[in-house]
Amino acid sequence: MQSMYKYLLISLLCCFVASSIQAQDKQDKKPEVKTPNVKWWDGMTLQVDAASIASSTLLSKDVYSVEAGAQINLKNKYLPVVELGYASVNKTSLEDIRFKTNGFFGRVGMDFNLVKKKKDGKLSPNLFLMGLRVGMTNSTYTINNMVIANDYWGGNQTLPESKLTPTKIWFELVFGIHVKVVDNIYMGWSLRNKHLLTTDKVGDISPWYIPGYGKNASSNWGFSYTIGYKF
Amino acid sequence: MKQNTYLLLIALLILGISCTSSEDCTEDRIAKLGVGFYTRALTDTTKQIYATRAINLDTLSVRGLAANGTLLDSILYKSKTIQKVYLPLNKFENSSKFVLAFKTGKDTIEVLHTNTDYYLSLECGCMKVHAIDTVLTTTNVVDSVKIINHKVNATNAEHVQIFIN
Repeated sequence: MQSMYKYLLISLLCCFVASSIQAQDKQDKKPEVKTPNVKWWDGMTLQVDAASIASSTLLSKDVYSVEAGAQINLKNKYLPVVELGYASVNKTSLEDIRFKTNGFFGRVGMDFNLVKKKKDGKLSPNLFLMGLRVGMTNSTYTINNMVIANDYWGGNQTLPESKLTPTKIWFELVFGIHVKVVDNIYMGWSLRNKHLLTTDKVGDISPWYIPGYGKNASSNWGFSYTIGYKF
Repeated sequence: MKQNTYLLLIALLILGISCTSSEDCTEDRIAKLGVGFYTRALTDTTKQIYATRAINLDTLSVRGLAANGTLLDSILYKSKTIQKVYLPLNKFENSSKFVLAFKTGKDTIEVLHTNTDYYLSLECGCMKVHAIDTVLTTTNVVDSVKIINHKVNATNAEHVQIFIN
């Protein structure tokens, strides 16, 4: 029995030594990988969101929204970004309740490029991004023509116009890509999962739409299609 | 170039999906007072213990009574075998009166309440919710009333128990 254990132990040791030598051989044979010259500052891209413009002009007659941003590229890995925009909404519900808002919004955040360097050591001009944004707006909202009907007892009551200027803060989880089209022109899309941090008390009058965030809900989805120029 | 065409197609697809939403109001916008009918039976004469039991009334009709004392034309309930009724409170007054016509007689209950605006959404607008303060009753058929839930909103809860002789 003891001799069997000895045999097993020697066999395992032999396997380990053999595999170590093989691995060493492979390492020796590996072609030398060139380390790409990664610049700390790799330019700044100014971009506009074509999706919000297209949506405002083609799809929605109630919401008008435009936004643009500036993103810098650090070490082709970290991409801090600032986005600014303006939205104007004039919405009337089926029951003739009117909601209006217009105001600026801003977002700051960071994207991380997940594209690895190529085997030949060159950096890909295309970016596969995951990131985070924090957005804020301090727009004014008005809601009017809200009627409460006293169906059984009779009579109606039109509520006075509500004017609110709450500060709304949210964060966005961003996933998207940037593709180099020609020279310094980049195009890309991003999908955004938005979460509102400043929610309204249940039963209180609240905005239907929040500039930069979209329809007022605890979470929301957004989409952007950017066209940018890299300096 | 082919890559960009795919990107644009995906973009338009997601944009299309994200833009479909309903604008109809699907929420219940009337807060109603839930009233249940009960009877009390003495179960232990020495310890004076009563058991509460829900009852089905043989006949009942319910109508609102305006502040000027006139009965409203619209009958809220006219039914045989009923155990519970849901009554709309007056949204713009702090008192709502109802005349309950039983098989053996009539009673008037008066609900004193406060009304508060409750915003639902742009699609549904605002509704009134109520907080019951007091319930008064005449005692021809009704023995007594008990408030079990003061907040009246759009849920079908029971708020007042009416005990019948």
